[in-house]
Amino acid sequence: MPKEIYLVKVGMSMTEGMVSEWYVADGAAVKKGELVYALETEKVNLDVDAEADGIVKHAVEPGVMLAPGDVVGYIYLAGETVPEGALSGQAGSPDANTSSVEIEAPSVAPAPVLASASAVQAVAEPGLPDGRLKSSPAARRLASELNVSLAMVRGSGPGGRIIERDVQAASASSASMPSQPVSRPAQEVLASPLAKRMAAERGLDLALISGSGPNGRIIQADIEAQSNKGSSGASKTAAASGSEFHPGQRIPLKGMRRTIATRMYESLQETAQLSMDMAATMDDAVRLRSQLVKEWEGVAKPTYTDLVIRAVAKALRLHPQMNSQYQDDSIELMRDVHVGLAVAVPEGLLVPVIRDADQRSLQDIAIESARLATAARAGALGLDDYAGGTFTVSALGMFGVNSFTPIINRPQSGILGVNQIYDGLSWDGETPVRTKQMNLSLTWDHRVLDGAPAAEFLATVVELLSEPYRLLV
Amino acid sequence: MKEFDCVVIGGGPGGYAAAIRAAQEGLSVALVEKEALGGTCLNWGCIPTKSLLHGADLIRHMRHAADFGVSVKGFEVNLEAMVGQSREAAATLSNGISGLMRKHKITVFKEHAEILGAGQIRLSASGELLADAIVIATGAKARHLPHIECESDHLWTAREAMTPAFLPKRLLIVGAGAIGVEFASFYSALGSKVTLIEAADAVLPAEDHEISAFAKASLIEQGIEVHTQTPLESLSGKKQLQAVFNGQSKRFDACIMSVGVSANVEGLGLENVGLSLEQGFLAVDSEQRTGVPGIYAIGDVAGGPCLAHKATHEAIIVAEVIAGKQPHGLRRDRIPGCTYSAPQVASIGLREQDAGDRAIKVGRFPFYANGKAVASQAGEGLIKTIFDDATGALLGAHMIGEGVTELIQGFAIAINLETTEQELIDTVFPHPTLSEAMHESVLQAFGRPIHL
Repeated sequence: MPKEIYLVKVGMSMTEGMVSEWYVADGAAVKKGELVYALETEKVNLDVDAEADGIVKHAVEPGVMLAPGDVVGYIYLAGETVPEGALSGQAGSPDANTSSVEIEAPSVAPAPVLASASAVQAVAEPGLPDGRLKSSPAARRLASELNVSLAMVRGSGPGGRIIERDVQAASASSASMPSQPVSRPAQEVLASPLAKRMAAERGLDLALISGSGPNGRIIQADIEAQSNKGSSGASKTAAASGSEFHPGQRIPLKGMRRTIATRMYESLQETAQLSMDMAATMDDAVRLRSQLVKEWEGVAKPTYTDLVIRAVAKALRLHPQMNSQYQDDSIELMRDVHVGLAVAVPEGLLVPVIRDADQRSLQDIAIESARLATAARAGALGLDDYAGGTFTVSALGMFGVNSFTPIINRPQSGILGVNQIYDGLSWDGETPVRTKQMNLSLTWDHRVLDGAPAAEFLATVVELLSEPYRLLV
Repeated sequence: MKEFDCVVIGGGPGGYAAAIRAAQEGLSVALVEKEALGGTCLNWGCIPTKSLLHGADLIRHMRHAADFGVSVKGFEVNLEAMVGQSREAAATLSNGISGLMRKHKITVFKEHAEILGAGQIRLSASGELLADAIVIATGAKARHLPHIECESDHLWTAREAMTPAFLPKRLLIVGAGAIGVEFASFYSALGSKVTLIEAADAVLPAEDHEISAFAKASLIEQGIEVHTQTPLESLSGKKQLQAVFNGQSKRFDACIMSVGVSANVEGLGLENVGLSLEQGFLAVDSEQRTGVPGIYAIGDVAGGPCLAHKATHEAIIVAEVIAGKQPHGLRRDRIPGCTYSAPQVASIGLREQDAGDRAIKVGRFPFYANGKAVASQAGEGLIKTIFDDATGALLGAHMIGEGVTELIQGFAIAINLETTEQELIDTVFPHPTLSEAMHESVLQAFGRPIHL
C-alpha cells in the first residue's frame, strides 16, 4: 500500500500551511529519515522527513495552502499504484504505524502524519531551504502584475531562482484550480541579492526587516543594522522598531501581524474573558532578586517576570482550574504546567513556552526564559519552544504600566499581566511605611471558572511573591 | 529685490543639475554663473578634452590602419582645427544648457555672486537676491605648486593645455592623475616628446596598484618618459622652461601643471556667514548642508572626488533636500572614475591594496584573451574584479584597455544593486564584445574562466 505523506500539524494554532519545497523530486527514491519536504506555516518553517523507504509521489505543488492533515504526497514501492491528483483534507484514518507529532495538547486530535517533524529551523524566507527566495527582476515584476506571491512559486532557474516563466506557470495553474485555497497576501520581500545572501547566512528573517533602499528594498546596510540590533537588548529593539513607522505608511497585514490580529480578535469574540488586579508586596522579592543576581552571576540572571513565572507555576498546581482548556462539552484540566512567556519582537509578539515550569527551579526558569527571549528576538525559536503552553505570562512593567487587561492566548484559560514595581504605602499601625508593590493583572475565561476561584489563584501568586523564599523550594 | 526659493551659485554639472531638479520640484530657482553655463566640465574639462582625445585616437588608428589593409598616405594634424572642433563641442553643449534653463523657467544671472548672509546674495550687476536656500556649486580650479614661482605663457594648466597656440616639441607634465595622463596621451599622439612626473609612487595613484603599474608600462611603451616618486624641484624660464627633478635640470617647451584642484571661493562672501574651508573645501553633511542653515554646497567645492557625476548626484540630493523630499543616499565608495588616456582606465569601489585583513577573491582577465579585443587590435588591457570572500558581494572593479570607460557602468549597476558573483555569472554577455572580459574576470575570481 502506498503510504500517504501528510501536511504535518505543528502547534495548536496552525490552521493552514504548505509545502514550500519538495526536497525529494517527484518519482525519486527516499529513505526513511531523509528530509522529504519543507513545511511552512504562518509561524514556523520546518523540515519534514520520510517515515518509510520508497518512491515519492507529489500530490501537491509547493506553495499550495492546505489544512493540516491533508495528503501532500505518497511514498510507494515499485509496482504499487498511487492515486492521481491533489487530494482534499479528508485524509482518512491515520495509519497505526505512523507517529504523530507530539506537540499538540492531548485533547486535540493529532493530525495524521507519515512524516515526523525534525530538524526544526527558523528560515529567513519561504522558498528555499537556505532561506533565500531568489527571483529575477522580471519575475518579480510579473508576479506583482499578476498578483502572484513569489512564495508560492517554484523556481526553475539556477539554484531555484524564480524566473519569469515560473511566475507565468504559477499564475496559469492557480487560475485553473479555483477550488484551491487562495494564497496568502503577497509575501514577496524586495531585497538585494547580497542582502538575501547575508540574511540567509545570519539566520535573519527578511520579512522582519524594513528596507531602506528604493521602494523599500532591503539592502546590505539594513541587514547590518538588523544584525547589530539583534545583538543589543530588548528595549533597544522596541525603540528601533518604533522608529520604523512613519505617518502615511501602509503596513501590509501579513505574517505575524495577521496571525496576532486574527488570534486576538477570535479570543475576545469566542471566550468570556474578564480581568482583575491584585497588588503584591515586593520588598522581599526585590531583596531576594538582587541577592540571587549576585549569587548566580555568570549562571543566570533572574528577572521579576521569572519570579512571577515560578509563582504562577506553583499556583497553577494548587488551582488546576486555571490550568485548563474549555472545550465544547467539557473543561479539560491539563496534566502539565507549561507557561508561555510573551516576548516582544520587532514585528509583533511571540509566546515561547517554558515547559514543565512547575518542575523547574527558579534558576532553571531564569536560564530557560533568557534563552527563549534571545531566540525569539533572533528568530531562532524551534518548534518545541512554541508548543503546548497551558497558561501565559505577559510583562509590560518595564514600560511603567500599572494595570492592563491581557488577552487570553487560546485555548488557554488564563493569562497574567506583570506590571511595574512602584513605591506604595502600607500601614504599620498608624504609621505609613513605604513598600515596593506590584500589581498583577489576571485575565481569565469566565466560562471555565468564576471570580472567586480566579481570585484565589491570584491571591496564591501574590502570596508567593510576598514571601518569595517559598519560590526557592 | 528678487526672491527665489533656491539660488544656485555656479552653473557646472552640479549647479545646473541642482537648478533643474529643484525646478522640477516646483521651486522658483535662479542660477548665477559668471562664465559659460556648463562650468569647467563642459567648457574646460571633460567635454573639450574628449574631443581632443578623439582626435588623438584617430591619429593612432591611422598609424595602424595598414595593419587592417587600409593604407593612409600622408595625413597632417591641424592643431588649430582640432582645438576649434573641441570648442565647438563645448559651445553646442553650453547652448543646450541654456535651453534647459529656459525650459525649466530658471532665471540665469551671468555675473558674480556674493553671499551677504543666510538667504541673501548680492550680484555684481543685478542687485540683491533673497533665497530660502543657497546652493554653492562654484567648483574648483587648477592648483599650483606653492614652491614654483615661474611665470610663463608656456606654463599651462589644463585650461591652456586644451587650447594650445603651438605644439610643444618637449612637454613636461607635472602630476600623473587623470588630467596629467590624458594630456600625456594627447600630446604624445600628436608627436610631442612627453615627460610625465609624479610625486606619488604610481601613475594614476588613485587607482588599484596593478592597474597603475599596467598604465605606467603602457605609457612608457608609447614613448612617454615616466618618473614616479619624482617631485618637481624647480621651474624657471619664459619661452624655454628649465625644470629640475631627480636632481637633474632639463629643458622643455611647455609644462602642464596637473597637481590637483582647489575650491573656487574667492569673493563668494563665505566670511559674511562664518563659513571657512576645511582642508581646502567646504565641509558638508550627507545632505550637502554646510554649517550655516539654508546654505548648501555640492560638487568640487564641497570636496572630492572631483568628478562631474559626483557633483550631479549631489545636486539631485541637495535639490530634493531643499524641496523637503527624501533624497537617495550617495555611497562614495560606489562612484566610478574614468581616465580617457590610451589605454583608458575605469574603476569603481575597493582597490586590492585597501582590502587589508578583509578576505577577498580577485578575478583578472586580460584583453588578449578576448575575441573582440584581438580582432580590433586592442589586446592591451585587463579587467580586475574584487569580491567579498564571505558574502560574494562585488566590492570593486578595475579596468584598463580600449573602451573600458563605457564598460564600467555595468559593474556600477551591479555594485549598486548589490549583486553577488552568482547574478554576474548567470548573466549572458553578448559575443563578440569587450564586455565578455568582464564576465570572464568574474568567472576567473571563482576559478572557472572559459577562455583562460
